[in-house]
Amino acid sequence: MMNDLTRKVDASFSPKSSPRGSRSPMANQMLSRNDSTGTLKMTISAGKHPAVVHSGPFYLMKDPATENDLTGANNLMAHFNLEHSYNKFTGKKVRDSLSSFLPTLPGIIDTPAHLTNSSLRSLIEKPPVFKEFTLLNHHQLAAFRLHPGPLPEQYRFMNQPPGQRKHRKHKKHKYRPGETPTQDGSADGTDMHEKKHKKKKNDDDKERKKKKKEKKKKKQKHSPEYPGASSSDPSRVSM
Amino acid sequence: MSSSLEQLENQLETFIENVRQIGILVSDFQPQGQQVLNQKLQNMITNMQDIDKLRTAVQDVHVPLEVFEYIDGGRNPQLYTKDCMEKALTKNEQVNGRIDSYKRFKAMLLVELSHVFPNEMTRYRAVREELS
Repeated sequence: MMNDLTRKVDASFSPKSSPRGSRSPMANQMLSRNDSTGTLKMTISAGKHPAVVHSGPFYLMKDPATENDLTGANNLMAHFNLEHSYNKFTGKKVRDSLSSFLPTLPGIIDTPAHLTNSSLRSLIEKPPVFKEFTLLNHHQLAAFRLHPGPLPEQYRFMNQPPGQRKHRKHKKHKYRPGETPTQDGSADGTDMHEKKHKKKKNDDDKERKKKKKEKKKKKQKHSPEYPGASSSDPSRVSM
Repeated sequence: MSSSLEQLENQLETFIENVRQIGILVSDFQPQGQQVLNQKLQNMITNMQDIDKLRTAVQDVHVPLEVFEYIDGGRNPQLYTKDCMEKALTKNEQVNGRIDSYKRFKAMLLVELSHVFPNEMTRYRAVREELS
């Protein structure tokens, strides 16, 4: 019906001249037609005598889209050989904590990094500026002269769950030969350290109890409920 | 690539062990341990130099940035892999469903159009067969 149909578009055209009235695409040349999928079955010639030629049998008929071999209708997991990996991750229960992924790493690693200002993201956003790693000279090493004695409890990195301590014990056997702070063997050195820590913990507990007792005594001295306790103070007068 | 990753892993383990030993030394420091501490500090820098040398060997390994969010949150990075795979499977199923819906719609539309415009649809089918 629309084969070999040529229409001349005049500058002073009227919608009535079009067979479809105002709905005809030629009635409104301001419409933009975006043909992103294929070629339209009509040709438009501009110039002195603009014309529209419908070359296809149906209006706006396009070529069929090329079919891809790989679409969402395929099982992409099987196609990329990821079924085994998928079953591995979904079948087993994957633990949530970072320490379960890195059980041999010493220290407490499950805390969020932004709390300790040691996040990987900050390292990427603000990479450290340096040229190269150079060994420390004598003067620089002098800055690492430490005072003898134990660290305060809060700064000790040994405060970690007992599960990890067991791992470190196993590690001692691995790293005994040649990689120890003392020549006798790391097991002896660290065992001594741990014994010292246990002793010091007991000592710390005893000290805390003593301090609590002293505080109680002070309270009793100063409180009016215990007049007997303040009898040693001559400035006070008992009612 | 796997050998360079293994090498890097070994270097990192050595570095971590050295730092752990420094921590033990420092937690209850004795004056006679000063030389050992200095030696350990120099070893730490040597280990960092060795790790830096391995940088070029693993330059091709790309790590997605989202993994760092998991690690910074104290979460297992394997959960990221698991989440990615689940998202991929969900998306695959979603797209498959859409394709299936469009196919059914096309079939239904052809049937209905054939009822309303039988002659035109016959011509349409003939043109489509010519084109294919």
